[in-house]
Amino acid sequence: MRIETVEQVQDLTRGAVLLGTGGGGDPYIGELLLRQELREGRCAEVIHPEDLADDALVVCVAGIGAPTVLIEHLQAKDVCQALLRTLEKHLGRSVDAIIPAEVGGLNSVIPLALGAQIGLPVVNADGMGRAFPHIDMVTYSVYGCPAYPMVLANELGDCVIIEGATSDRKVEDIARAVTGALGAMTYGALYPMSGRDVKDKAIHGSISYSLSIGESIRQARQHSADPVAALLDTLHRPDLQRHARLLFDGKVLDVKRETRDGWHFAKVEMTGLRNPDVHFTIELQNEYLRALHNEKTVCIVPDLIAALDRETAEPLTGERLKYGQRLKIIGVSADPIMRRDECLEVFGPKAFGFKEPFAPLETL
Amino acid sequence: MNPERDTALRIGIDVGGTNTDAVLMDGNRVLASSKQATSADVSSGVIAAIEAVLREHRDHRHRVRAVMVGTTHFVNAIVQRRSLRAVTALRIGLPMGSAIPPMIDWPEELREIVSGNCILVAGGAYYTGQEYTELDEQAIRDAARALEQNARPAIAVSSVFAPIRPDLEHRAAEIIRRERPDALITLSHEIGGLGLIERENSAILNASLCALADAMVDGLEAAIASCDLNADLYVSHNDGTLMDGAQVRRYPVFACAAGPTNSIRGAAFLTGKEDAIVVDVGGTTTDVGMLIKGLARETSTAIELGGVKTNFAMPDVLSIALGGGTCIQAEDDQELSLQTQSVGFRLQEEARVFGGTTLTATDLAVALGWMDVGDAEQVRDLSENQLERFASESQSRVADAVDQVKLSASDVPVIAVGGGAPLVRDTLPGASEVLQPEFGGVANAIGAAIAQVGGRVKRLFDYQALGGRDAAIALARKEAEENAVKAGAVRETLTVVEIEEFPMPYMESAAVDLRVRVVGNLDLAEAR
Repeated sequence: MRIETVEQVQDLTRGAVLLGTGGGGDPYIGELLLRQELREGRCAEVIHPEDLADDALVVCVAGIGAPTVLIEHLQAKDVCQALLRTLEKHLGRSVDAIIPAEVGGLNSVIPLALGAQIGLPVVNADGMGRAFPHIDMVTYSVYGCPAYPMVLANELGDCVIIEGATSDRKVEDIARAVTGALGAMTYGALYPMSGRDVKDKAIHGSISYSLSIGESIRQARQHSADPVAALLDTLHRPDLQRHARLLFDGKVLDVKRETRDGWHFAKVEMTGLRNPDVHFTIELQNEYLRALHNEKTVCIVPDLIAALDRETAEPLTGERLKYGQRLKIIGVSADPIMRRDECLEVFGPKAFGFKEPFAPLETL
Repeated sequence: MNPERDTALRIGIDVGGTNTDAVLMDGNRVLASSKQATSADVSSGVIAAIEAVLREHRDHRHRVRAVMVGTTHFVNAIVQRRSLRAVTALRIGLPMGSAIPPMIDWPEELREIVSGNCILVAGGAYYTGQEYTELDEQAIRDAARALEQNARPAIAVSSVFAPIRPDLEHRAAEIIRRERPDALITLSHEIGGLGLIERENSAILNASLCALADAMVDGLEAAIASCDLNADLYVSHNDGTLMDGAQVRRYPVFACAAGPTNSIRGAAFLTGKEDAIVVDVGGTTTDVGMLIKGLARETSTAIELGGVKTNFAMPDVLSIALGGGTCIQAEDDQELSLQTQSVGFRLQEEARVFGGTTLTATDLAVALGWMDVGDAEQVRDLSENQLERFASESQSRVADAVDQVKLSASDVPVIAVGGGAPLVRDTLPGASEVLQPEFGGVANAIGAAIAQVGGRVKRLFDYQALGGRDAAIALARKEAEENAVKAGAVRETLTVVEIEEFPMPYMESAAVDLRVRVVGNLDLAEAR
């Protein structure tokens, strides 16, 4: 598969906002990066995990830092390429393919822009099938691939190699500290893995999944169909153990926000358009984590929650929610891998401070 | 006339797409108003508007000290891609940003007209304000020397984190001016806030409007002179304050969205309300905006202008397809629906009550007794059912829009203005009261006439380095006040109308994107 048209890029970034479940950083800058590659006559080649040799070297490439800084710094042409070269020198072998850490938000697009730029294939897979705030919240880490050696650099030539760490969470702590010292926005090459690892441990089909989301919304709009219904049709595939449903149709009554320690906490209160007696709540911590209908949980992390404009199905990030918006809230099941016990340990409800255990969307 | 009341008069003019409205005001009193079709040439329309409001007040001509004009001219130029100038976009940022050069997501046809050249040079700062590399002054000099020789070159300068380090853009301007004293230079930090792409886009659009702005100000000043007025020209800013001729020449992009703001401010003035929802019902659309502490609420997200993402302050207005000219489809005596199309400015010919054949919202309003225009006999055939359907459908549309614009669920006062104001009824759901002020039809011209002078600051402040939140806000406020005084405000009348803080997410830091805005009265005594 190739990402070679502006339409595909737009489908993909719209899908990335939805899979970002309210956070993940606006992929707009990523969209511009990829569009510039297309403009210069290059395109991104996306390969299936099964196309990788077992001993292929695959790495994640991601932006790390504050979105507020990214929208000023944008990106230098060669920063991600230089990362790869440094990692290759360190490992003494060349990288065969790039893989996204997350398919939600900005970091889903950065690997594609890099792949297009240097002609390296991008694996149609990722480590979470959505967006999460920490480096260690990926299936790669859960199943034993360490995030290090990791190369971290800014655009000015400041570069750090994290050779080892006591845990992947520690890699995150180090990376955050370094990022702070390097102007609050850096790029990292991390999770060097084998092709075998990707086949066994990654979530497959993430990029095409994201594309299909944007595509179904776009096509429904073009044909004046209901884009939310079309989207649910695309996402709800019980035969593939994928579930999706409309959780709520209503309007935003209130958004309580708080920012502390680099986290955006918020509680979104909603009610019915005609029936003011129903209550719907979305709790977010950078990403949407839990949705409650009349105080009863109807969707909880790692299952995905998306807030869509009720007419256009445009997915909205948490920062954009405000009083009066008419929204349809949908729940989408996480990939079956993400729902395993060992994964839930790392990014299940408990990891975000919820007392209740995970329950699959389709049982709630 | 009482000699004590021989004070300065103002004329407010709103040049809209369809109508040019004007008012003559003495302090807070409306002496005269007029509404006429907009002319193709702005100057002659303005002359006609001035003469119309002075017709009954010939003796007061000498007392007119200020003419305030709100115009859609600049936004039309962008949307219709005409009268725009080629611009050189100079970005200070390398090595940052090279992967995303300027204007890459502009609509193709607009980029072809506007983009003279894009040049990236080294320089720029971190969010802390510290420079990450030295400014490449030689590259700027070279760029200036390469500017077109035949005409005054327009150049837009942007720089990474310019809201925190505006001096880098100023330095670049200095270098350019030394090479080309005639250059029309726009600096991005003077136009937009954080977000390099949107700020740079805004600066480029501004630069592309400079030639048009010169022609426009020259034309308006000549119009005022030809009316034999000893008055200064002011043009409405998007935020409802005033710009003098020199400011408009430099910042034409700030005059793009003044119309809705003027309506909201005019509605506030006519009712004495400080907080309300303003519903401006025109011929084709209804604009719903919010009045907060006497000012129009501004958007907090990027706004597209002619397909280009920008981030300068604009009124936050929701437009819905409902107006006096809205076409109504009546199938039989039960079915009736509101269309999105409108007869627009042809209302006077096409509506049934005016002898036309198209059923419009105005016809239904006449049949319901909400309006008294034209010939009511022409709409006698409408059934009770149809009238009821229209009444409930039109009110629910307005109520829905009002609900989306307000900030919380509680009922708020609603002020209906514009030619179609009677389409908003007292029983509007979600409204604590519905006000229909006298002169509401020319609220936009009144908004222009009563405008104040503002000053603003919008950039990152490091609360820790500045000694805490209070100290940082005090500093920002002082800067905003100085800006307002420079723009012609009376210092004693300045008040803070907005303090907004946006901490940086995903990063532990004391840097806060702080926005402070002040306004004060225009110093008419200072008028030249």
